[in-house]
Amino acid sequence: MRGPLRAVVAVLIALDLSACDNGIGESTANGAASAPEREPPAEPIRPSSLPADLPSNLTWQTNDTDPVFTSQNAKRGGILRLWMESFPLTLRRIGPDANGGFAAVTRYIQMPLVVFHPITRRPMPALADKWAFGDDGRSIYFHIDAAARWSDGVRVTADDFVFTLDLMRSKEIVEPWYNNQYTHEIIDIKKYDDLTIGVEAVSGKPPDEMLENYQPSVYAKHFFTISKNFNRDYNWKIEPSTGAYRISEVRKGKYVELARLNDWWANDHRYYKNRFNPDVIHIKVIRDVNTALRYFLRGELDSFFAVRPPIWWDKAKGKDFDDGYIDRYWFYTQGVQSPAGMFLNLDDPLLANRDVRLGIAYSMNLDKVIITVLRGDYDRLQTFNDGFGDYDDTSIRARPFDIDKADAHFAAAGFATRGDDGILTRGNERLSVHVVYGNDASTEGLVVLKEEAQKAGLELVLELKDGAASFKQVQEKKYQIGWLAWAGQGLAPTYWEFWDSVNAHKPQTNNIVNMDDPEMDRLIDRYQASTSKVERVELAHEMEEKIFDSGAFIPSFKVPYTREIAWHWMKLPDPIGTPQTEALFFPLELANGLFSAGGVFWIDVADKQATRDARARGEPYPPVSIKDDRYRE
Amino acid sequence: MTEAALAAAPLRRFQLSPIARAQWRRFRSIKRGYYSALVLAALVMVACAAELLVNSRALVVHYRGNTYFPTYGAFIPGRTFGLDYDYETNYRDLAKTFATANSGDWVVLPLVPYGQYETDLREHVYPPYPPSSADRHYLGTDTTGRDMVARLLYGFRIAIAFSAFLLVCNYVIGVAIGCAMGFWGGAFDLLFQRVIEVWSNVPYLYVIMIIASIMVPSFWTLAAVMVLFNWMNMTWYLRTSTYKEKARDYVLAAQALGASSGRIIARHILPNTISVLVTFLPFSIAGGITALTALDYLGFGLRPPTPSWGELLDEGTARLESPWIVTSVVAAMVVVLLAVTYVGEAIREAFDPKKFTYYE
Repeated sequence: MRGPLRAVVAVLIALDLSACDNGIGESTANGAASAPEREPPAEPIRPSSLPADLPSNLTWQTNDTDPVFTSQNAKRGGILRLWMESFPLTLRRIGPDANGGFAAVTRYIQMPLVVFHPITRRPMPALADKWAFGDDGRSIYFHIDAAARWSDGVRVTADDFVFTLDLMRSKEIVEPWYNNQYTHEIIDIKKYDDLTIGVEAVSGKPPDEMLENYQPSVYAKHFFTISKNFNRDYNWKIEPSTGAYRISEVRKGKYVELARLNDWWANDHRYYKNRFNPDVIHIKVIRDVNTALRYFLRGELDSFFAVRPPIWWDKAKGKDFDDGYIDRYWFYTQGVQSPAGMFLNLDDPLLANRDVRLGIAYSMNLDKVIITVLRGDYDRLQTFNDGFGDYDDTSIRARPFDIDKADAHFAAAGFATRGDDGILTRGNERLSVHVVYGNDASTEGLVVLKEEAQKAGLELVLELKDGAASFKQVQEKKYQIGWLAWAGQGLAPTYWEFWDSVNAHKPQTNNIVNMDDPEMDRLIDRYQASTSKVERVELAHEMEEKIFDSGAFIPSFKVPYTREIAWHWMKLPDPIGTPQTEALFFPLELANGLFSAGGVFWIDVADKQATRDARARGEPYPPVSIKDDRYRE
Repeated sequence: MTEAALAAAPLRRFQLSPIARAQWRRFRSIKRGYYSALVLAALVMVACAAELLVNSRALVVHYRGNTYFPTYGAFIPGRTFGLDYDYETNYRDLAKTFATANSGDWVVLPLVPYGQYETDLREHVYPPYPPSSADRHYLGTDTTGRDMVARLLYGFRIAIAFSAFLLVCNYVIGVAIGCAMGFWGGAFDLLFQRVIEVWSNVPYLYVIMIIASIMVPSFWTLAAVMVLFNWMNMTWYLRTSTYKEKARDYVLAAQALGASSGRIIARHILPNTISVLVTFLPFSIAGGITALTALDYLGFGLRPPTPSWGELLDEGTARLESPWIVTSVVAAMVVVLLAVTYVGEAIREAFDPKKFTYYE
């Protein structure tokens, strides 16, 4: 759901989920007919050591004192009209193809147990109204809010979490990532009473990161049946949700509609009051960003991302802007940056050679793309992870465009002579690599990279595909170079899913570069096991260094702001965003899986009519163009 | 064509028959079609020699007493001309360097000194640049800063080559099968009629879309798919006219003389059905160009950054605030397609056995 639901330049959004992918969902079937045939589920790496009874000495924590960042003036109502570039391949949250752009909807209509405050960065209650840490330093106890309900009215109970553990360990869901997460990371989930669960993690971490990493998601026990056809059976079924919206209508290939639950259980919750205001969210498939923009300019979409320079500078202007019918917002944030750029498949025979990879890195003139195509709005991303505070390794600088160094590396790999077309050769082999990408908007920048790379004797063959298809190709590891971005999020960077050899050489995992390095695995293990932030920071720096050395990732750009245009009837609180706001007009709670910043805007239905009338009469409003850099670093 | 003309044909194969000459005269007399044909021929010739007219490589470089012709052949690294790099020389800069150095070296640049893939990017000014004769971007640039003339011309060359390839393949297959159906008739005819009916109901656009989602189509795969789904069109016409010709006495005579089927088809029947082929020719060319343009426009065509009219059309419609993009490509398409249509009309008139005409 690039355009509308996610700000990033990014081509593809996928997870990184550590924290919160929670809940489950609703509606139709409850399909347990015959006894399902099941494979034995994955076993935890060690037996549970959670106490049989709830410890009596727990210090329960909650947070009801942080500032509220919503507006009293917010009004419920209206239909929010968004768009997505391609229709999702599934409505499931797990299993094959569930990791595409639409995950922003399927995941975030579910509430996590605990979320983080977007200004104070402290944990705040969501599905759990309080939580406590065990004495062993690696267990967490959650008390589920007694009011919590699934969208079909069923209570959310501890049984759902116990079921979730079973589901996540089952082989039937074809999800190595979750299988591992719920056996190697989460050792056990135990029910103490209907509303209390204990979660045992493999190792301790700083408390906030414990909450972030080890809170389980939740799937409705009354809805799912685990069987060998799980992925097929639930591909298009709408599961109940715990958040303010449920998927209410699906027209395959055309649109998905979400409906606001009027009697949502958290309506009066301190941090959820005055939020999630539109009655309906209509997400329409529009295959092309320019067509979508025209829909917006005709008033058929309510807001539009203008992060990309051509949209902001060339298209977001004209009479409707001058007359104040469409407002312009440029809001700087401090969020985690997407790891965006080129991912090099280390299993590819050509790219297996480190010199080739480094040569390619030195052949990428990304600075030229920034100052020309991107008009200097973006910055160069320097490392894989960025925006995690102390975890960032600012000593690493991404490799600049340097033909001499590229030449030296290519020569070391045997590519020393240039053919008639200026491309380097090694015997009969030309130095030519395929770059697969899924967003036409990237073509402009890639064309410049291609031209510049030619100077270094490297040919880039650009392969533009449909968003979902290109991501699938990358996840199947059938590619040479992938130009894409992961959705960055979290309190601390994650390495395991992207860089651990467990995830290498097999399809549908996020180690898309097939990094297979025992030393890296060792660092990841230590990083995951460590409870000391100082040590973790040190290890993160070491791993960042290794990633840099490997040349498997060429960082492209970072975008430290969100920029949006919206019709006059789209209203925002004051201030319009928080340091963690990824998108001003993101309608769900989480945009990045961690900080609860979304859904604070509202549609002023009366103003919508008034604006349309004024526009028809030609009666101008004062133009609105806000550039807010209070959170600029 | 009459039998007399045909009988004369094999003897003087390399001369035009009187009838052909009459047809040519007739074609020339239809001015609109004739001039359109000249325009088209000129365009194709320009496209074939595009490197000499629109190119980032210079035509001639004179450096330290040596003369270089970089247009064709291997690239010449900048170091050859005293520059400090090993990649392809930037001849526009070289021209400026030589001019300021005033050392007697010189560069002759083509009319439009930009290549088809070359992005002309500058700081603080952002493409698309409007038309400017000072920058020699006579039709401006596209959104990436590539010269419009270059994109149009090289795009045209690819389209026309694609179209020609398609045409040859379609006609060879279509004519062969159509003639065979008409000549042998019977079960063979019946079988192929059904095959063609079934096959032509496969929506080829969907097939191309499916293929494009699995792999990025290249020139040849795209052409192969198009041939696969387009060869049927000619079979019907050829089948009918072969049926017609087969019943004529001269075929019977040839058979009586012991001529083989192949010889009868190739030597006797085919020349008499040629007017059908020729009439369809221009429209097939236009069809090929529009098909490729449409596919590129929809994003199922050749991979970027291949120059293509469809891609320009897409870009132009997305960037209506830069009207020179869409105007240039639409104008180019209108000119080419109109010219092809006029030529087609004229040919049809010239080959019309009834000698009836709307023109003159």
